Amino acid sequence: MDRRYLLKNSLALGATMGFGGCAATPPPAPQQTIPAKPVSTVPFMDRVPPLSLVRAHTDRLFDIKVCLRPFRTKGPNLDVEQIGDTMVVHNYGHGGSGWSLSWGSADMAVQKALSSSPKQIAVIGSGIIGLTSAITAQRAGAQVTIYTRELLPRTRSVRANGSWTPDSRISLAAEAPANFGDTWEKMARMSWKNLRPYLGRAGNPVTFCDHYRLSDTPPGQPVPVDPNIPPLPAPSWSGLPTQSADFGRYDDRIADLTPKPEVLTPDNNPFPVKYASRTSQMFFNFTEYGHLLTSEFFERGGKIVMRDFHSPSELAHLPEKVVINCPGFAARDWWKDKAMMPVRGQTGWLIPQPEVNYAMTYRNVQMLSKSDGIMVIALEYGDMKGYNNSDESVNRAEAERAVRVIEELNSRFKPT
Amino acid sequence: MRQKFFLVVMACIAASSARAGTWDGVYTDAQAERGHTAYMQNCGRCHGADLSGTFEIPPLVGRFMPYWSGSTLDMLFDYISTAMPLGRPGSLSPTTNADILAFILKSNNFPAGTKELSADGLKSIRFDAVKPAKSRVKKSANP
Repeated sequence: MDRRYLLKNSLALGATMGFGGCAATPPPAPQQTIPAKPVSTVPFMDRVPPLSLVRAHTDRLFDIKVCLRPFRTKGPNLDVEQIGDTMVVHNYGHGGSGWSLSWGSADMAVQKALSSSPKQIAVIGSGIIGLTSAITAQRAGAQVTIYTRELLPRTRSVRANGSWTPDSRISLAAEAPANFGDTWEKMARMSWKNLRPYLGRAGNPVTFCDHYRLSDTPPGQPVPVDPNIPPLPAPSWSGLPTQSADFGRYDDRIADLTPKPEVLTPDNNPFPVKYASRTSQMFFNFTEYGHLLTSEFFERGGKIVMRDFHSPSELAHLPEKVVINCPGFAARDWWKDKAMMPVRGQTGWLIPQPEVNYAMTYRNVQMLSKSDGIMVIALEYGDMKGYNNSDESVNRAEAERAVRVIEELNSRFKPT
Repeated sequence: MRQKFFLVVMACIAASSARAGTWDGVYTDAQAERGHTAYMQNCGRCHGADLSGTFEIPPLVGRFMPYWSGSTLDMLFDYISTAMPLGRPGSLSPTTNADILAFILKSNNFPAGTKELSADGLKSIRFDAVKPAKSRVKKSANP
C-alpha cells in the first residue's frame, strides 16, 4: 500500500464530509474526481485515516530513560502492618502496571487506612501510586502529608512507558495468591472508572490513540529476534520465571473494556507490510497528568515533606499514625522485601511530532506518540527482558537500534 | 573566665556521655583515599566523579546530608552494602564499603581522624549534618 491510496481515500472522505457540512448552500463543483466506486469496500468510518510518519532518525533521540519496574513476584503488597503504634498499609510492587492500576490499588489501600477513622494520613512516596493514594485519601476526607525523597518528574514512575498495560509484569502466576485474579480485576476496573474524568482535558493528560500492530509473518507467529541483538544473559536467579508465560495474565477478565483487535484488510492497510491490525490504546501524558494530580493534591490542602527513610521503625515517629507506604522499588532495600525484583526497562524519546497521533508495533519495537516526545521501546524477549537487572545506566545502542527499525519501515513507503 | 570554665565542663560532660558522631573524626585520610579509588571504580559511573548525581541518580552531597542526618552510620553502611552498586547489589566487600563510606564522609566535609572506619561499631556513630553543639562547645572552649 502506498501514499496514493491514502490520498484517494482521504479525498473521498473529505468530499463527503464537506458536503454534509454545507447543507445550506450547494457544494462547489468538485475539483477532484471522486472515484466512481470506492477503492475499498471498508466502510468510511473504519478506514485508516491519513497518517503522518515518524521522523525516525537516531540523531532525533533527545532523551533515553531507564527505569526499574517494581515487580513483586507475589503481586502488589497491600498488607497491613503495625510498626509501634502506627498502622502501615502497603501499596507497592505493581511492576509494569502502576500507571494503569494506581487508582484501584489506591482505593483498596485507602479503605484499609480509613478503618480506624484517622483524620491525618501519611503517604510515603510520590510516584503515581503515592499521588493517587494521597488524593484518594483526601477525597475520603483525610488530611494528607506526603513524605518523599523525589518529586515528579524525577520519580521512577516518570521513566515508565505510561500506557494502559494493567497486567504487565504484575505477578508470577505460580506465586500470586489464589484470589489475586479477583483482586486484580477489581483494581483494574476501579482504575478504569477513575481515569475517565481525565479524558478530554486540556493537554490530554489521559487519552486514546490507534495502535497498529504490523508484522511480516501471519498473526500468532512469534516475531524473530534481530540476530544483531545480544541474547539474554543466563538467569542470575533460581526457579521461576523461565519464560514469559510464567508471568500472571489476567487481561481476559476485562476484555469488555477495550475494542477487540481489528485485522486490516489489504485494501485498508497503508503500511508496507503484509499483516496489520489495529486496536485502541489508552496512554498517559506524564507532564499534564502529573500536573493535574499534583495540583489537586495541593488544592485539597496536601503537604509535602522531602525526606528519606532508612528503617521501617522511623515510621513510628511520624505524627500521623496511619501510613500508606508507596515506595515502589525502594521497598526491596527499605522494607527488605525479598519478593521485589527489579525489571529494567528503557525508553528512547524522539522529538515530539504532534501530527503523529498513533502507536505502532513492528519487529519487536513499539512506538507511541506522546505530547512530550515519541516513545520508542525495544520489546524483544518479552517479559523476560530486564528481569532481575537493576542496571539503570543508559544503553544508547539499544535505543538507536529500535529507531532504525522504524526508519527502515519508513524507507519502504513508496513515494507518490 | 567563669564562662570559659563552664564551657569546658559542659564539653567534658557531653564527651563522656554521648556516642561518637560524624564530626568526631571517624575515618582516616588514607582510608578515604582508598575509598576514592573504589568509588571511581564502582560508583562514579552513576553518581559522578564529584558525587553530584544526575537528573535520575541521587547526589551523595548536598541534599544527601539532610536525608541521612539523624540516622546512624550503620544504616548508610547497610544501604550501601545491600543495595549498591545498583547493577550488582551486595557485590562489594565490607572493607571496600567502609572505605567508600569514608570517602563519602570526606566529600561532605566531615573531618578525618586517626582511626579507620570499620564495619563494626557503626551503630554507635551518629550521622549529624550539622555540627552538634557538643563539637561547637569543644571548639570554642579550646580556641
